[in-house]
Amino acid sequence: MIRLTIDDQEITVPEGTMIADAAAKLGIDVPVYCYHEALGPLGACRMCLVQVEKMPKLATACTTAVGEGMVVHTKNPAVDKGRKGVLEFLLINHPLDCPVCDKGGECFLQDYTFQYGPPQGRFQEPKIQKVKDGPINEFILVDQERCVLCQRCVRFMGEYVGEPQLLLDGRGVETVVATVDGKPATSQFSGNVIDLCPVGALLSVPYHHKARPWNIEREEAVCTLCPVGCTTLNTGRDGHIVRVEGRPVPDRSWGWLCDRGRFGYDFAIHPDRLTSSLLNGQPEAAARTTRQVGQWLFDVVNEHGGESVAFVVGGLHSTEEAYQLRRFAEDVVGTSRLAVSRLEAGYLPRGLNGTFEDIDQADAVVLVGADPYEAVPVVHLRLRDRVRAFPGLKLMGVAPRDLGRETLSVDTVVTHVGHEAATLAEALKQVAGDDPSVAALHAPEVPGLDQASIEPLAKALTESEHLVLLWDGLEADVEAVLVALARVRGDKATRVLPTWGPSNWRGFERAGFSARLNDLTQILHDAIDGKIHMLVVWGADLMREYPDRALVEAAFEKVPVLVAEGLFAPLGQEHFQAILPQAAPGEVYGTYVNMEARLQVAMPSVQPPGQARPTKTYVTTWAHALKKSLPLPEDWDPYDDNSGDLLPEESLDGLEVRALGAIDTPEAGAVEVISGSLVIENGIPSDILKPRIPSFPGRISADLAERLGIHEHGTVRVSRNQRSLAVPVAVDPQLTPGRIFIPLASGPLAVNQIGLGAANVTVQEEVPSA
Amino acid sequence: MSQTWYLLRNHEVPDIGQMEVYRAHGGYEALKKALNQYQPEELVDLVKKSGLRGRGGAGFPTGVKWGFLPKDGRPRYLVVNTEEAEPGTFKDRELIEKNPHQLIEGMIISRYAIGAKEAYIYCRGEFLEGYEQLTRAVKEAHQAGFLGENILGSGFSLNLFVYRGAGAYICGEESALLESLEGRRGNPRLKPPFPAVAGLYGMPTIVNNVETIANLPPIVTYGAEWYTSMGTEKSPGLKILSVSGKVNRPGNYEIPLATPLRSLLDDYAGGMQEGRSIKCIIPGGSSVPLLMPEQLDTPLDYESVLKAGSMLGSGGCIVLDDTVCIVKASARLVKFYREESCGKCTPCREGTYWNTDVLERLEAGGGSQEDIDMLLDISDNINGKCFCPLGDASIGFLVSAIQHFRDEFEAHVREHGCPLEAKVYDTVNY
Amino acid sequence: MKPEWKEWAKEARAEFPKANSALLPLLHRIQRSEGWLSPKTLEDVATLLELSPQYVQSVASFYSLYFKEPVGKKVVHVCVGLSCMLAGSDELMHRLEEKLHISQGQTTPDGRYTLLEAECLAACDLAPVAQVNLRYKGQVRPENADVLLNEEVSP
Repeated sequence: MIRLTIDDQEITVPEGTMIADAAAKLGIDVPVYCYHEALGPLGACRMCLVQVEKMPKLATACTTAVGEGMVVHTKNPAVDKGRKGVLEFLLINHPLDCPVCDKGGECFLQDYTFQYGPPQGRFQEPKIQKVKDGPINEFILVDQERCVLCQRCVRFMGEYVGEPQLLLDGRGVETVVATVDGKPATSQFSGNVIDLCPVGALLSVPYHHKARPWNIEREEAVCTLCPVGCTTLNTGRDGHIVRVEGRPVPDRSWGWLCDRGRFGYDFAIHPDRLTSSLLNGQPEAAARTTRQVGQWLFDVVNEHGGESVAFVVGGLHSTEEAYQLRRFAEDVVGTSRLAVSRLEAGYLPRGLNGTFEDIDQADAVVLVGADPYEAVPVVHLRLRDRVRAFPGLKLMGVAPRDLGRETLSVDTVVTHVGHEAATLAEALKQVAGDDPSVAALHAPEVPGLDQASIEPLAKALTESEHLVLLWDGLEADVEAVLVALARVRGDKATRVLPTWGPSNWRGFERAGFSARLNDLTQILHDAIDGKIHMLVVWGADLMREYPDRALVEAAFEKVPVLVAEGLFAPLGQEHFQAILPQAAPGEVYGTYVNMEARLQVAMPSVQPPGQARPTKTYVTTWAHALKKSLPLPEDWDPYDDNSGDLLPEESLDGLEVRALGAIDTPEAGAVEVISGSLVIENGIPSDILKPRIPSFPGRISADLAERLGIHEHGTVRVSRNQRSLAVPVAVDPQLTPGRIFIPLASGPLAVNQIGLGAANVTVQEEVPSA
Repeated sequence: MSQTWYLLRNHEVPDIGQMEVYRAHGGYEALKKALNQYQPEELVDLVKKSGLRGRGGAGFPTGVKWGFLPKDGRPRYLVVNTEEAEPGTFKDRELIEKNPHQLIEGMIISRYAIGAKEAYIYCRGEFLEGYEQLTRAVKEAHQAGFLGENILGSGFSLNLFVYRGAGAYICGEESALLESLEGRRGNPRLKPPFPAVAGLYGMPTIVNNVETIANLPPIVTYGAEWYTSMGTEKSPGLKILSVSGKVNRPGNYEIPLATPLRSLLDDYAGGMQEGRSIKCIIPGGSSVPLLMPEQLDTPLDYESVLKAGSMLGSGGCIVLDDTVCIVKASARLVKFYREESCGKCTPCREGTYWNTDVLERLEAGGGSQEDIDMLLDISDNINGKCFCPLGDASIGFLVSAIQHFRDEFEAHVREHGCPLEAKVYDTVNY
Repeated sequence: MKPEWKEWAKEARAEFPKANSALLPLLHRIQRSEGWLSPKTLEDVATLLELSPQYVQSVASFYSLYFKEPVGKKVVHVCVGLSCMLAGSDELMHRLEEKLHISQGQTTPDGRYTLLEAECLAACDLAPVAQVNLRYKGQVRPENADVLLNEEVSP
């Protein structure tokens, strides 16, 4: 540790700390443009000049490491003159067009000029003219004249994300930030450069000329579009959210967002958004539909009892809303048929749930099925952070496809569909075959598995000190293997991050809903068996989501009263007697639990549009209709005194290691359908994101494409279990031969129509309709 | 007494760049001596004792620089900096074009001393001729067994690569040079770590100037005492000065350090051209403050020139005669730095742009008295605030020009243009 | 992409022990045969060296000797450094501009000449100095500007 003095205050910091960071710890503001802790020192902007005693020149606080006994002054005449000089330089070629700049009022160039800059300019020469409002991509504009060449954006894309789509073009005063040959940047992390830009050079296209800082309300919120739960600042204006920015949380998150999270906010004002209700298929005022649903509830409960009503929660609801629904269902309706809508069969016991900090400490990470880049994008950046800090990280995968990418190399054991659990179990058998937990798995043998190929995996699973697994949940049996693995590893950390949705499923569980798929399946079977007379689907879109669409349809056909609430009309809306409009995140106060089991609060920035109402409004109305009181404690708080912002830990002791099921092995040469979630195309509509949504979301292996005569992309018909599906596919050379990837729940193309698994699939070219 | 002492002594010999001719004039004998009579560490000591200082401009003691190499077993690199482009300096070009083997011999000796198995010559992109000479000479040296495996049976090996730059003066800065050599934009690197610790490909690297390395053969041949017998205690030995401007014999002259400036101009460069008198002198390349005619007795060694208010720098000596407009000269020199600024740091990128514009406006008659003080203030805001030395280099001459010739700057304001105009554009004496 | 470029890329990679260093040499070689480096060429180079096109464009744009626009058969660099200025280089440049009816930085419409300013060519003893396709021509008095245009030089 190093002791030094900054502005007469003493501080002790670790060796290698930069003066700027040490000063920040003391609350001393050292102005910077180019420096960002995540990107490391650069020393380009020279804004952070400070005086260090015994140094002949002013030093840059962002590149000068602390030294024992150092005495630093961040405010004195020499420093002031230096900063003033740098600001004057930055301004000479700056267009000074603040009145028409989106950044006006939130701009570091303005702020620092106000604070440290010269009161007036002395520059009389012509300014260099560069490109204004040039495109970086569909979402981002570059104004090269406003750029201070801090390189944050270029370094972020190149070094941090590993997708070097921005570049410095030219030299000296003519240097500009540009894309290669004007081609749009395609990285799904591109929007972060808007947040990183300290001036008005990189701007959001959808927010362009939309508002001034004094027009807007910025509220702390959480992105709910995937299970990562990134922290955001939502900008509301005139009743709409018009911008989402990343919100760094000290010592926890840099505040990165993926483009889905940053630009997908317009789902709330999408034309398809429900703002009034449908009653028996006809538009109707929501208040009237609500009363009608209350009447049905009253009738059904009176006639068939409370247990004949089932509630399924899902979508983007908050934990509080789920809690209110659960209390209503249990206390007022009197039913225990409660489930969370799930896309995947897997379940993760709370006791195994890890946090992102586990990634920061991991010496091995195993991806089970999950591709973090597609499913939980910002975790992908977290993994890259870890690789940078700890290049020895063992990063492996077990999945039906190679999970490696240019930005993250993953040593993947490619399995057949449905063989992930058994493959992991084989690996465990190799190194801990005698362990009773492993024996209890009764793992089936994996035909054709090369034992040597899983040796490194087996080693990583058992020898690592801090093991993190990311699991996509598609294969339910993996749960048992994870429990056994934790048993085998004993005291060594074994932490799992579930990458599945709905993003707040842990919150729903906290609110009292069962998140196990079995319980939902039971409800569907009960419905088919005629035991359920009213099914209330809250925020979920079961036909799109549930792994077997046919079962949902069968249930829908049998249930006499089918009611939905949602942001959008669910698939199969003809089955529903009533569809009610939901209030979205950002429109209600709510707590959301992310994949770390971490509770995070989102403040509302706007009111729900039209007749959309929060859950509480509906359930209190229906409690009246049922002539019962709904005692909702105002102070119910999902937070727990002992666990802070994480859900309470649960012991693993009670968990039983279940035996694995049998596995199917496809015949040699058979085609296999595989799947995974794709955040960018997760079915939630967004006009802003439209250009980025792939027109061919499916992917086909090169050998299949060749066999079918498909170049680059085309449409294929995939048949399975007497059902078939037309799938627009792009050729993916990295895909294992004989495989077709169909994303989970992506728009109209949902793999649950045919299902996946180790089965034979016939592929043929779609005959174009006449 | 315009004697050429060593490095340039054979430059009039036809084909001295050819292996046989070079060897016929004693070439590669120093290498043999080094390999036969010295252990590597003894060579480093020899260089330390000789007091040889870097001839690229900074004048840092070469032996001390070599001593910075960490002894940790990692591979080391030797890189010779041939990105010579500081206005007024043209010695390295002559050294590589005329006598490439002298440099190569110096490099092999240096390699033996510091233990590098690979060496690079970073040749300025504009030096196409020099690049071709070097490439050819390296091939000859390979064929003659001076390069490659087991040099002259010594058990030592050296691979030498010639790398061509592509037009960027900033690559003369050693860390920018390494960036460029690694195939990147020539932006200077953050220091520490210094190249001696983490240089080319992250490995310990010594970057030396052409002239510095070319001095190795004579030092090995004649010994450290011979070298220190010339010059002063702190600035021993020989230095090539490039003289240009309105002298009778512009060119490169190798002088013992501490030779008076007057002697360089009169005895070596043949004095001023008919009818011209000295207005001021840039003694060490475009980045240094000027010296006035009354300082002609200044001995040309690092300390004396510094004491006189300037720097010996790279030894590019430009003589400005009485017809030269000091504002125009300043504008031209600052413009060079504007064109060559890499653009990474703010004060250099914007400051050189601003100063150039103001100077050109002043020169054209559109200036004001305030502009002159503003130039000094802008220069002060550049001074010591830049990422690398290029920014500071851009103001050395300008600030001294305003100090010494403020009246001429003011005359440009008063007379709305250049009072010397007629003379500057005369075409009598090109 | 010309078929021989692949071979050149291989040679450039083999020339230096580390592949990173192959970029500048390959760009030099291709420019020598093509005259300039088009966006497409830069992309091809990126492919050949397994670098990102952004990286290649950024590097190429940094160095003044890489031409990002087509140039004439003869590229004339007139040094405008201080020593050459003292010897009349501005006048030389004016003469050339007049003769070629272009300004410095431009190429004649017939594609024969490109006229460029050079920042100190490190040949101040030969001032005013110029290069034609990087071959030095020293002591070019303005009235002799023609020698630069008539000089026979290889590309």
